[in-house]
Amino acid sequence: MKQTITTLTWSRVTESKLLFPLIALGLILLFDLIFVPGFFNVESIGGNLYGSLIDILRNGACVMLLALGMTLVIATGGVDLSVGAIMAISASVAAIMMNPVIIGVKLPPDLMKFINDPNFTYAPLWEVIVVTLIVATICGLWNGILVAYARIQPMVATLILMIAGRGIAQLITNGVRIQIFYDPYAFMGNGWLILPFPLYIVAFVFVIAWVLTRKTAIGLFIESVGINYRSSFHSGIDEKKIKLLAYVFCGFCAGVAGLVASSNIRTSDANNIGLTYELDAILAVVIGGTVLGAGGRFSLFASIIGGLVIQATTTSMYAIGVPANAVTAIKGVVVILVILLYSEQVRGFVRRLAEQKGA
Amino acid sequence: MFYKIGALVSNNRRFIPFTVTAALAMVAYTIGAYFYEAMRDPQIFLNLFRTSPYLLISAIGSTLVIISGGIDLSVSGVVALTTVASAALLRDDWNPWTVMLLMLVMGMSLGAVMGVFITYLKVQPFIATLACMWFARGLCFFISDDAIPINNRIYRILGQTKILIPGMSDVVTKQGAFITPLVVLGLLFLIAAIYIAHYTRFGRTIYAMGGSEPSARLMGLPVNQTKVMVYVFNGFCSGLAGIVYSIYVMSGHGLYARTFEMDVIASVVMGGTMLTGGVGYVFGTLFGVLVTGITQTLIQFNGQLSSWWTSIVVGLLMLVFIGVQSLLVVQNTRRLAAKRLESQSKATAVSEMQPASLKGGLLGGWKGMRPRNRQVMLFGIAAVLVMLVGAFILNGAQRSSQGLTTASPQDTSLACEFKLLRQEQAEKLVKDGAVIAYERNGGPACIDELYAIYPDGRITGDDGVNQIEKQVTSEEIEQLLEGISARGWFTDEMYDTWHTPCGQCYVYFINISYQGQDKAVQAVDGGTDAPANYWQVVSFINGTIPKFSPAP
Repeated sequence: MKQTITTLTWSRVTESKLLFPLIALGLILLFDLIFVPGFFNVESIGGNLYGSLIDILRNGACVMLLALGMTLVIATGGVDLSVGAIMAISASVAAIMMNPVIIGVKLPPDLMKFINDPNFTYAPLWEVIVVTLIVATICGLWNGILVAYARIQPMVATLILMIAGRGIAQLITNGVRIQIFYDPYAFMGNGWLILPFPLYIVAFVFVIAWVLTRKTAIGLFIESVGINYRSSFHSGIDEKKIKLLAYVFCGFCAGVAGLVASSNIRTSDANNIGLTYELDAILAVVIGGTVLGAGGRFSLFASIIGGLVIQATTTSMYAIGVPANAVTAIKGVVVILVILLYSEQVRGFVRRLAEQKGA
Repeated sequence: MFYKIGALVSNNRRFIPFTVTAALAMVAYTIGAYFYEAMRDPQIFLNLFRTSPYLLISAIGSTLVIISGGIDLSVSGVVALTTVASAALLRDDWNPWTVMLLMLVMGMSLGAVMGVFITYLKVQPFIATLACMWFARGLCFFISDDAIPINNRIYRILGQTKILIPGMSDVVTKQGAFITPLVVLGLLFLIAAIYIAHYTRFGRTIYAMGGSEPSARLMGLPVNQTKVMVYVFNGFCSGLAGIVYSIYVMSGHGLYARTFEMDVIASVVMGGTMLTGGVGYVFGTLFGVLVTGITQTLIQFNGQLSSWWTSIVVGLLMLVFIGVQSLLVVQNTRRLAAKRLESQSKATAVSEMQPASLKGGLLGGWKGMRPRNRQVMLFGIAAVLVMLVGAFILNGAQRSSQGLTTASPQDTSLACEFKLLRQEQAEKLVKDGAVIAYERNGGPACIDELYAIYPDGRITGDDGVNQIEKQVTSEEIEQLLEGISARGWFTDEMYDTWHTPCGQCYVYFINISYQGQDKAVQAVDGGTDAPANYWQVVSFINGTIPKFSPAP
């Protein structure tokens, strides 16, 4: 009897989606523990916490946000390549609303002199955020319509917006990098409330996503559509609407990430905001155990851990002094190692080893 | 008449996607030639090939990968790695031919590793090639942080030899329409790839695999081997594209060819290859590449649209092509269903049925079932969008055509080709007593200016053609230097940065020698990577130097 219980829990542990991301994260942190002195130091300055660990959380915020939306999309069996471009679009929209001089909006002269003032914004902050998120959601809607209703392959459908998106973002700001002077906006990316403020945003979006998928039937529907959209359709699930919802939510998340990224660097840089972030986000989801291309079961929390794995790798490489541009080489190797953990071949090998030990 | 056209279309249905692309390329070029006299110059047409052989070569490799049902994101990384590695080896006086061979072997071995991971360890192609891209791009910076110039005779010969086109050029004065050896290489490679894809066992296996991997396996085809070989082949293409790229820009740097993989995939998709695998033609990819080039050329000729319109137009074009493709797929499935019905009922009047079904095939797009209607509407909207953009471009064309027709083709034929920074010249200036050597190139007018500021207040400038001089007081120079020094010029806060310049961005290189310290820093406009103080220094210097009078 006791035997069966232990084997049950063992198999539950090995089949859990959280196991491998956590192992990967643990290995990276172990590496830091050995090779980077002081990596785990957390200082408190004026009640706010600082340190390498906090940096990982703060810099990983954008990827974690994108990964949340991407999880749902990948779970429906799709993929969204356009999230980086949507980030750029939303950053441009937000910047132009706060500082519209650049597109030729003639401000009255008494407002002009305030344009560099950290307390001045043309549109109120709530309006900036709401409009930006609406624009990002529309981008997601566009992807969703192409994938769900026009039945274009997800990778191609979202490639369109990925290519055109940066052009659109530059069109919005007329090709100019708009500086953001408004302090309350910059607080979203740079602020601290004991922990870095972006983390609260991530937590907020996570709760939305979690309630949406785990407290309603939508999560199950998404998994069912990912596993087999035809049979889902025949069992009465409106698979098109479910897919649409996933892409719309992904666009929304990308919009939030765009807000955070632009407020962090205080510019709208259409060329560079979110560049190659789509790859990071997809990777985070894959590390989180959701199967790219096939869809099906997903775990939002595992995707978040996946995002942290990527960011932890980068941060620890910086910490041991690898040049910024060269970090990608090590990232590539880590990715392959992590993905190999998931490979059926390797898993089978481990399982055989475990069985031999048991026997 | 209509019957004949209908028969022609339905018998050659599989050629439609790339015929559409080819037709569109021709129409776009004709419209351009109609509005811009300079575009009628044959050289402009040849430039389409001259500026994109690396894209063509890489896209050919990716076409095969995509037909086989995979995808390869690693091309941009491998291209960048090839440029850096070959530049570094050539700097150490290696034989250029050995270097090229090594680069090809390197590309192939990277491809082989990816192939093995994908085939035998069942890693998803997207992930495996993504990791390889990161790995290759990261390696570049272990070799060198800065751009390495290439000063090799063979490379220069390959890049700059003009092969004059008979009948369009004057052989004696060596002027007229020309191409470079790279174009010949690209086209030869295209022919070779067409042969491989359609006339060899390897090529047919690729198609079979892309169509359905399990059935290819059941047919006893060597699926695993072929899969690895496809990635090896693409690695070879990436290596070759990297060599061509380094010959084209005559330097190597790890940030070259950023997001190149997406250009490649876009060209392949526009060339009529479907990302689901199994369908497509290597020859179509040529037109995909050409359409991208023509879009760029049109936008440059227009002169009023900014460079980012290229990406928007390419995105819209892709939408249209994908629309055409997916309509064809729907039609194909309908046609197959109809055929099955026909054979089941053993239709009595086949000859009478045929025109009707053909008619259905042609007009089905407009009279089909409800989801089809939706699709058609969607792509109709997309087509309208494309036309709107086209109208916008042409509208600008009419406005600016008076000014442009007199311009010589050479002025407008290319966007700013990236020029190497004249670092050595700048260092020499500093050695000769200048305190500041300041170079900027690029920008909307494609300038390449090098200024030297001397401690006695003399400022000289040189834009490659004209010289300019200005005299200020030595106190002003001292103030300027102090200001620059106070901005942390000689501290670690000032460091080199680099990203691929946008169409209208400036590239800066500043070498400053002050109080026995000497430091040079480069940066590119249009990014957030350079230190903020750098731009202050640039604006200080811009305020001091004399201005070249704008070109008439």
